Amino acid sequence: MISREICARVLAKAVSTGADYAEIFAEYTVEHSISMIAKKVETIYDGIIAGAGIRVYKGLRSVMASTVDTSEAGLLRCAERAADALGQGSAEISVNLRERIFGDIHPIKVVPATVSNAEKIKILKDGYFAAMDFDPCIKQVSGSLLDIDHNILIASTDGIYAQDRQIRTRIAIQAVAEKNGETQTGFYGPGRRMGMEMFDEINAHDVGIKAAQQAAIMAGAGYCPAGVMPVAIGNGFGGVIFHEACGHSLEASSVAYGLSQFAGKLGQQIANPKVTAIDDGTIPNAWGSINIDDEGTPAQRKVLIENGILKTYMIDKFNGRRMGLESTGSSRRESYSYTPTSRMTNTFIAEGPDENDDIIASMEYGLFAKEMGGGSVNPATGEFNFAVNEGYIVRNGKICEPVRGASLVGKGSEVIMNIDMVGKNLDLGTGMCGASSGSIPTTVGEPLIRVSSITVGGR
Amino acid sequence: MDFNRFKQAVIAAAEKLGVKEYELYYSSSESTDVGTFKHEINEFSSSVDGGVCFRCLVDGKMGYASTEALNDAEAESVVARAVENARSLESDDKQFLVAGGQKYQTIEKKSYPLPDTVKLVKTALDVDAALYAADPMIIDGSQGGAGVSVGKIAIYNSNGLDLSYENSGSYFIAAAVVSQNGEMSDSYEFRLGSLDDADIAGAVKKSVDDAKAMLGADVAPTGAYPVVFAPRAMASLLSVYSSAFSSENAQKGLSRLAGKEGQKIASDIVTIVDDPFYKDSAMPRNFDAEGSPTYTKNVIEKGVLKTLLYNLKTANVAGVKTTGNASKGSYSSSVGIKPFTFYIAPGDVTEEQLIEKAGNGVYITSLGGLHAGANAVSGDFSLQSSGFMIENGKKTDKAVKSFTVAGNFYSLLGHITAISDTVEKPRSGGSTAFCSPAVLVEGLTVAGK
Repeated sequence: MISREICARVLAKAVSTGADYAEIFAEYTVEHSISMIAKKVETIYDGIIAGAGIRVYKGLRSVMASTVDTSEAGLLRCAERAADALGQGSAEISVNLRERIFGDIHPIKVVPATVSNAEKIKILKDGYFAAMDFDPCIKQVSGSLLDIDHNILIASTDGIYAQDRQIRTRIAIQAVAEKNGETQTGFYGPGRRMGMEMFDEINAHDVGIKAAQQAAIMAGAGYCPAGVMPVAIGNGFGGVIFHEACGHSLEASSVAYGLSQFAGKLGQQIANPKVTAIDDGTIPNAWGSINIDDEGTPAQRKVLIENGILKTYMIDKFNGRRMGLESTGSSRRESYSYTPTSRMTNTFIAEGPDENDDIIASMEYGLFAKEMGGGSVNPATGEFNFAVNEGYIVRNGKICEPVRGASLVGKGSEVIMNIDMVGKNLDLGTGMCGASSGSIPTTVGEPLIRVSSITVGGR
Repeated sequence: MDFNRFKQAVIAAAEKLGVKEYELYYSSSESTDVGTFKHEINEFSSSVDGGVCFRCLVDGKMGYASTEALNDAEAESVVARAVENARSLESDDKQFLVAGGQKYQTIEKKSYPLPDTVKLVKTALDVDAALYAADPMIIDGSQGGAGVSVGKIAIYNSNGLDLSYENSGSYFIAAAVVSQNGEMSDSYEFRLGSLDDADIAGAVKKSVDDAKAMLGADVAPTGAYPVVFAPRAMASLLSVYSSAFSSENAQKGLSRLAGKEGQKIASDIVTIVDDPFYKDSAMPRNFDAEGSPTYTKNVIEKGVLKTLLYNLKTANVAGVKTTGNASKGSYSSSVGIKPFTFYIAPGDVTEEQLIEKAGNGVYITSLGGLHAGANAVSGDFSLQSSGFMIENGKKTDKAVKSFTVAGNFYSLLGHITAISDTVEKPRSGGSTAFCSPAVLVEGLTVAGK
């Protein structure tokens, strides 16, 4: 990629109008994705994303300029645009870049680009036809196998010159079931920060079965009832409740501006004492893992909430300035053309003191949200929503009939207090998280939990 | 390397590899955006991006490859990769490249002078100052913002097609955050158009009023009652379910509108139009992503589904002509289907009359979590909502939030009982936009307290 010498010259240009910090983020990303529908391979996406973003800070002001031209002349022009936008002034910072080599805690065995389309299609078909042949009610299946080879370089006036190669693989199957003229869908899409060796760990066939099973169950289900009730939320992707209800409000992008329900609450009880929540970018080969963040800070494991007490926020360098706090290795961006900000990596609720069976047994009447879909939140007010993809009514401590079409809504600061039981089967789920710095891979997770009271949006 | 030089390099590479039928799709954009925090420009970003997608027919299959790195090595690589990808495809649907020499309507869009950086900064700071001056409840985090972008698209194919398109625009945004007794509420106004005659005062007032109105909001009571969707809320619902009108989805069993063309699918009063030349569109288009001419059509007319939206491939499967709705999510995506400005035609009652007709119910101003809580295949939705209670035929100032409205889009179409006479302007800066009048719907369920 771009040499240290060129980076040093570009950084010098970037700070020339008075900046006190400058940074280059360059990337070369190869993205490949095979999609199937109607039992055939329908499209193959094959793209290269290449460019650089240059950022300069002066005090609490930030300027970002990006370009697709990564020649020295192109980078210098981009640096000049950033410098000009910062305004008048002059500065000379001696730029002394030292190469930092961070240990690769997410080793890759089989680089996807070295595997043929035919071999990838074989794996995808294994999952695809497992879903298609699951039951006669399955009328359509779509599936995709995605691999991304994201090479990044970060050079900054802090002296950082670091590179990382982030390879990710994901298989996703969506099944459509039809019963009595009604259609329902099922989805499962696990991914890892791995190459094709991911399929030693994840069986494509099982992915197809899981998606089809969900569609078939939901197609026969009645609508979820509406109202306020206790809800047990299943492990794995169920952790999206923490991601939406709490996680986004702990990002410096909202906290630094006071636009968070949890701003100014460090050291205070913000969650039920049974809740301990962690953001950990260092889990080997997990979907949301990184070696370094997009400002070159090494990934960290952070306990965000310990026994209900708020311990730390997720912070990037720029917003950290405003907060007077160090980066926690949380700066992330979709690509060079986005301005990075603090984001989550692998974020989950830790295992708690309760037995899983006791959680269900404790509910006289309520909902068991076995599989969750996505959601969203307004971090300032804490109002969030997320969808239940597979739900069951719980009566007298027993899981009963499946119900469909539900979502859960509430206010983060209230719901996080109402998580009054936490079980023992922690698992992680794969997701994409969208915010101002684009769409990035994140993991959510939790064991089975109970929310004592929440609004269930049924009908 | 610019696009024209890259194009020549690709043409040479295609010839070398014996590729006869191919297309190059180029898109680029330059944009500058600024935002304030506490009376200062806090963030400034200026981005230049874009790339080229090459696709080609090999034994009847359409292979794709794209790149942002425009150089000689990549020119050969995209052709080779697209050919290899084509060889792995299995779909039997016949693929097409559009013929050259077609007629395209003229776009009549009023152009306006684009703001320079100084003007962007001034506008953002003016909005910021106006926000703080508007109300004592305004707090830090309220923000002014402004931006400008210039986008280019070019399509070139081996059938003699050589089209290009350029569009530009500017916007400003007023984001109000208010606080009262520790409770925060926010709202924003996004306005597209010239910054020379920007109605900053109007946008600031609306964002502040909307944010204040939701302070102290209660949770709506659970029950089934009439729901009025304000224009913006209805437009957002329409944006999710516009995919049901895609012939691709219908042909693949992902839309319940499959086989319903010519049938009644909505109330008599419902007409839905897809208009590439819509008067308030920020990005009117006279050719689609395949290079076919675009035109205005009624998708639903008086409750009857007149047509789905087609591209060349799906039109061939259905034995009809393309409706000029080929679309690409980004330059590198494969060709899919999207509407242009997709809107519910105005009805014949005022919004006041419509609310009066609702009697007792809820007026929804905003819907959240559309990407998750609305299933485009089944039509089921359960969406986080906020708005105001309607009592005795009048919209009250009793704000409600943190509740859901649930139903099914396909049955909702048949339960629209009134449509107001004014379509709100679309808020999208892109070629796909959604807008609507206010709409009264019976038979939905509200889940709250």
